[in-house]
Amino acid sequence: MLDREFLERRIDPIFCLVAAALASVGILLVYSATKNEELALSQCLWFKQILYTFAGLLCALFIVLLPPRALYEASWPLYLVSLALLLYVAMGGGSVDDAKGAARWIKLPGFNLQPSEVAKVAYLLVLSRYLSGREVRLENLFRAGVGLATLSPLWRPLAGASGGRRAWMWEMGLVPLFCVPFLLVLKQPDLSTALVFMAMTLTMFFWAGLPLRELFLLVSPGLSLISSLNMAVWVVFIVALLAVLLRSRLQVWISVLILAANLLAGGMLGDAVWNSLEDHQRSRLQTFVDPTRDDRGAGYQVRQSFVAIGSGGLTGKGYLEGSQTNLDFLPEEHTDFIFGVLGEQFGFLGCTAVLGLFFMLVSRTLSVTTRAGNPFGNLVVVGSAAILGFHVAVNVAMTVGFMPVTGLPLPFISYGGTFMMTVMCLCGLIAHVRFHSHDA
Amino acid sequence: MAWGTRLEMDQRERQARARTILSFFGLLLGVLVLRLFWLQVVQFDENYRLSEKNRMRMRTVVAERGSMYDRFGNVLVRNRASWQVMITRADMRDPEELKAKLVSLRDGEDRPVFDSALVAQTFEVSKWRNKYAMHRILEDASPEVVAFLSERASEFPGLSVEVESRREYVYGTLGTHAFGYIAPIDEKELERPEFEGYPKSARVGKKGLEASYERFLRGKDGVQHVEVDAFGRKLGLLKNMPQIPARPGNSLVLTLDLELQRAAEEAFPDTLRGAAVALDPRSGEILAMVSSPRLESNIFSLDSVSRKKGWQSVALDEARPLNNRAVVGVYPPGSTFKPFTALAGLKEGAITETNKPFQPCRGGFRFGKRVQHCWHLGGHGAMNVVDALRVSCNVFFYQLGLAIGMDPINEAAATFGLGNRTGVDLEYENPGALIDSVEYERRYRKRLGWRWSRGQILNLAIGQGELVTPLQMANAYGALVRGDTLWRPHLMRMVVSPEGRAILRYGRKMIRAIDMDEEFHRIVVKGLEEVTSAAGGTGHRAAVPGVRVAAKTGSAENPHGDKTHAWIAAAAPVEDASIAVAVVVENAGHGGGVAGPIAGAILRKHFELLKRRAEGNDARP
Repeated sequence: MLDREFLERRIDPIFCLVAAALASVGILLVYSATKNEELALSQCLWFKQILYTFAGLLCALFIVLLPPRALYEASWPLYLVSLALLLYVAMGGGSVDDAKGAARWIKLPGFNLQPSEVAKVAYLLVLSRYLSGREVRLENLFRAGVGLATLSPLWRPLAGASGGRRAWMWEMGLVPLFCVPFLLVLKQPDLSTALVFMAMTLTMFFWAGLPLRELFLLVSPGLSLISSLNMAVWVVFIVALLAVLLRSRLQVWISVLILAANLLAGGMLGDAVWNSLEDHQRSRLQTFVDPTRDDRGAGYQVRQSFVAIGSGGLTGKGYLEGSQTNLDFLPEEHTDFIFGVLGEQFGFLGCTAVLGLFFMLVSRTLSVTTRAGNPFGNLVVVGSAAILGFHVAVNVAMTVGFMPVTGLPLPFISYGGTFMMTVMCLCGLIAHVRFHSHDA
Repeated sequence: MAWGTRLEMDQRERQARARTILSFFGLLLGVLVLRLFWLQVVQFDENYRLSEKNRMRMRTVVAERGSMYDRFGNVLVRNRASWQVMITRADMRDPEELKAKLVSLRDGEDRPVFDSALVAQTFEVSKWRNKYAMHRILEDASPEVVAFLSERASEFPGLSVEVESRREYVYGTLGTHAFGYIAPIDEKELERPEFEGYPKSARVGKKGLEASYERFLRGKDGVQHVEVDAFGRKLGLLKNMPQIPARPGNSLVLTLDLELQRAAEEAFPDTLRGAAVALDPRSGEILAMVSSPRLESNIFSLDSVSRKKGWQSVALDEARPLNNRAVVGVYPPGSTFKPFTALAGLKEGAITETNKPFQPCRGGFRFGKRVQHCWHLGGHGAMNVVDALRVSCNVFFYQLGLAIGMDPINEAAATFGLGNRTGVDLEYENPGALIDSVEYERRYRKRLGWRWSRGQILNLAIGQGELVTPLQMANAYGALVRGDTLWRPHLMRMVVSPEGRAILRYGRKMIRAIDMDEEFHRIVVKGLEEVTSAAGGTGHRAAVPGVRVAAKTGSAENPHGDKTHAWIAAAAPVEDASIAVAVVVENAGHGGGVAGPIAGAILRKHFELLKRRAEGNDARP
């Protein structure tokens, strides 16, 4: 059974090599960023990172070898457990992160559990299961949302609804399925992880049939909020929105609702959102708009980061040679700002190569979907790719000064046990789907 | 119908979707690669220059601490520049060579400039720390060393001279007990909420006004982002980076009068221990405050070796020069307590201005089996209360005490703030104590044979047994002679911002209004005035020509030496007192002989200054 041809079909050697290469780069860079610290081997961060990588590998192997339907069956229990953990943290049960005053961790003997990381994987599985049953359309999402908001399941006879009782249940369920973990994570407060949920959901909606045009309309209030920073841009945006709305031929009430949401977001909501932000988020946004503004060093971090990257030039200063990163200038140079270490020591070519590796990783991941028609498995793969891709894009955009400092780590490369475990689990899920894609 | 069918896609559709997602991701990465190209290739020169030898450095700009001025704006406490010689490993060419060079440097008198052990240790430490960090190898360097090193900076790569601000007490030991001192913050203080945000290197007020007004005096440190050259010298500020200027601390304008303070310091010999306080009884403003032995607060600003030596000498000195005796020292008041006994007696109706109700003084008083002596063994004869105050007759007050008991006496003394904290703006103020039967048992119950008996009243009525501070006594006399209000004594007059704006003024604070019969007041003050004015008055040395001075001397017996503590408390002028003075000199003998001249000098200076300043004002158009 375990003949070579069989294994070749089930295991993607390129995917494995790319992942191994990225993990190795990560260990090398963590070593370079933290080598100045005089610690015992077991305390060295680079050594810990090696341990995390292998622990993650074991996890991934475990997932790959699970029976074919195990993930499908486990999705709901896992989701409920993750919600319970998120709730526990939301009720104040977690340990407070001193630096940011946010409660995101549960201290367990031996390690710290971050419920939002568990929730990422659990939500991915349950959404895949959910969406594998039906196609997603904007109209349906709106109807579900409005139906839930007006509590229609209570007064509208379920059996009488079009599509029958099951369709109604389905319609209504999707909104809280997303909103509960999203809001719990947002409340921690962990805006960046909440955005990961958003990115994953939208990508999976697209996979599950939501056309690009409708996807655009779905996120349009958010875009309106961002573009409202500049009046002219906002006007252009609203005109474009109107054009898309007219072409989409949605029901009139939906079009009106979307337009209203956009106008609201662009106009009045801006201040409300601004006021609801945490101090550190607000200051990061302000620093992003005006880096010279003083703000507890947030602008300083970004500027140090891109001076480090820029000083690498075309080929970099060489491994372990960066002067910028040998300092304690980047407070999180081995975690969120590790791309700066890469940029300084390996230059433009090194950065491009690593980004190329990430592109290959995502590409090989998506290739799994073209081979088999298992809707659940494909959704899991697409969602995993979305999580990984979003982390990469946001992290790098942040280190080069394109985005406010958000605190999303770089997969495989940033130091950190929990996140390494998440990334490896995602790889395990991807490999699992590929491994079993021919069983059915 | 509405939801369409189960999600089923053919392979072509799946490929198309995957391609769309991948393209979107590719587009994002493409934009990032363009940005990287911009930073790493187009802007490479600029970024490389900034990163080379890491020329960007963040420096804390330590804020200047606020100064202190006397009531007329004369500077008393300020900051001086102090040079520190530092090494930075990253800027060194050859550490071993530099070390050898430094150790062999000698000054004009052929003494090594640097302490070789410290240099070796610092070099060793710098090896293991961040190589861009600066380490100090010479603290508070002399101008000659600074000039020498600055001229030859290129010969010593890795060496730099940094300027630091150090505290300077302008007139040496003058007034330093009131000012207090600053010293490096310690671990325990760092954890206290009022020191939140202080860096570990901070120096904070430890005693005196430096401690009481720490939050005003301390400024807000700033941050500079600077570009430095290969020798670690600052080239200039970085553009596009936040520069937060340091905000200097607020200054204090004190109630002290420099000239009066100086007169008090000169009058109080450094060889004697004790304290002197002068204050304005119309407001509680402290005009002069001396504690002896003197404290050289400047030692806390010296380099660490001298500082350590200086600290050891003051901390281990059995004379305890660190204590501000004016507020921490408690002494039995001796005969300076008698006016309060007299006041209680008048109030209780036991005596009047003219009657002579007690046995005449024959040099002693028999109580039970014992004979308690008067200080004048020849005896004072029969007398009234005014005479008794003037000659300070113990026998009169023994009998008065016995006649009325301790409660009215203590009540009178407490009214004028004796035995209680005055609430002066200095830390560690000692409350002292008034003694009655309850307090006596509480204090001394552990001492064998020390039981309360009526015999104790004899001692307490003449001030042997109570404990008061010189500040309490000055304040009490001021209120007694004025007869209107007891004010809270204070040293801070106002807090002034760096821009020169008064941000806080000390409005006078009343402790209590004195409710005293006008007649009793007149009788007691008459007795006190005769102390300085009449023949045979014990306080004639505190007299001021042309000014009516009310005073009382005292000689407090104490267990710490053969000689009594010499006291005098005074207030003048009697008709409208503008100054109250208390002086205590430990183990110096009789109050009139030792403490009297000191108080006299302060009083005379005060009235001389009053006159001069009034003339000065008149002379101005």
